[in-house]
Amino acid sequence: MALRNIGLWAVEGFELAFSLAKFCCCIHVTGSYAMGPSMLPTIDLNGNVIIVERASVWLQKVSRGDMVVLTSPEDPNKQVIKRIVGMEGESVTYLIKPGESDECQTIVVPKGRVWVQGDNIHDSRDSRVFGAIPYGLVHGKLFWRVWPASRFGSMCNV
Amino acid sequence: MSLVTARWKSIAKEAVERAAIMARFLCLLHVTDAYLFSSTLVYGPSMFPTLNLAGDVLIVERVSHRRGKVGPGDVVLVKSPVDPRKTITKRIIGVGGDWVTFPVGPGNGDRSRSVMGCLGEAMIRGHCHLFLRVPKGHVWIQGDNMYASTDSRNFGPVPYGLILGKVFCRVWPPEGFGSISH
Repeated sequence: MALRNIGLWAVEGFELAFSLAKFCCCIHVTGSYAMGPSMLPTIDLNGNVIIVERASVWLQKVSRGDMVVLTSPEDPNKQVIKRIVGMEGESVTYLIKPGESDECQTIVVPKGRVWVQGDNIHDSRDSRVFGAIPYGLVHGKLFWRVWPASRFGSMCNV
Repeated sequence: MSLVTARWKSIAKEAVERAAIMARFLCLLHVTDAYLFSSTLVYGPSMFPTLNLAGDVLIVERVSHRRGKVGPGDVVLVKSPVDPRKTITKRIIGVGGDWVTFPVGPGNGDRSRSVMGCLGEAMIRGHCHLFLRVPKGHVWIQGDNMYASTDSRNFGPVPYGLILGKVFCRVWPPEGFGSISH
């Protein structure tokens, strides 16, 4: 009798775990990232929980101004968060040495690539270092900040 | 009245159950396709004679590249750096840190010199060759059919993150069944 109960609980537990796995499958929840200072002040160094959506990337609906998650071209095991500053065909002007001189450079983003920069241009390894990245490295678009509660809200136009 | 409602309820319940089974199956299919192995139809002249012009169905495994186990000599599926909707099949010639050399032709000379930061040129057998070092985190890919292939000689080294999987074997056409030759 006790054995039968244990069996039932085990089946129920397994079904619950399976439902949870199916839910996660649907949302494709990604792991957490170790944050650096490159997106200050938009994303600070304390834990932020942000929902990332993949539909926009797949439908190619990302544009200039969106914050995206991408695989770093320098280290394929790292996922970094940066803002898209130029889409293919657009021209981007950036300071070569921010804080030290006003010297600028203008480049045109090649086809199939995007130019990304961190909001904290003084401490960010981005396209100013590794060039425009292929769009295929972009994996998700930052959609909604869930934590901290004081900054709860949309990540568009932020 | 209650009999009709009961009947609709049971139909709705069965529909939801069937949809759930379908959803579970699609989940399993997606996970296998994206993280284990998948089959792809590839066509084009750039990998001749390793792959046929008319098209081959290949089994591509999606485990090695996540573990960093793809290297020179492997035929891989890569997301095209010039058109993100296209997937291209090429062979890895060099990985980050390797030196690669290739002859300069009318199609790729100027771009190679200025954009890819070529570190040197040499005249080898009467043809101008460029040689450069593949940056860290990138791979150099080329098609086996050098004369009909748009590859790293045109668009430069490709970030490792664009690799989708390593070709495991060919399943169609049946004459070519088995591992693709080196």
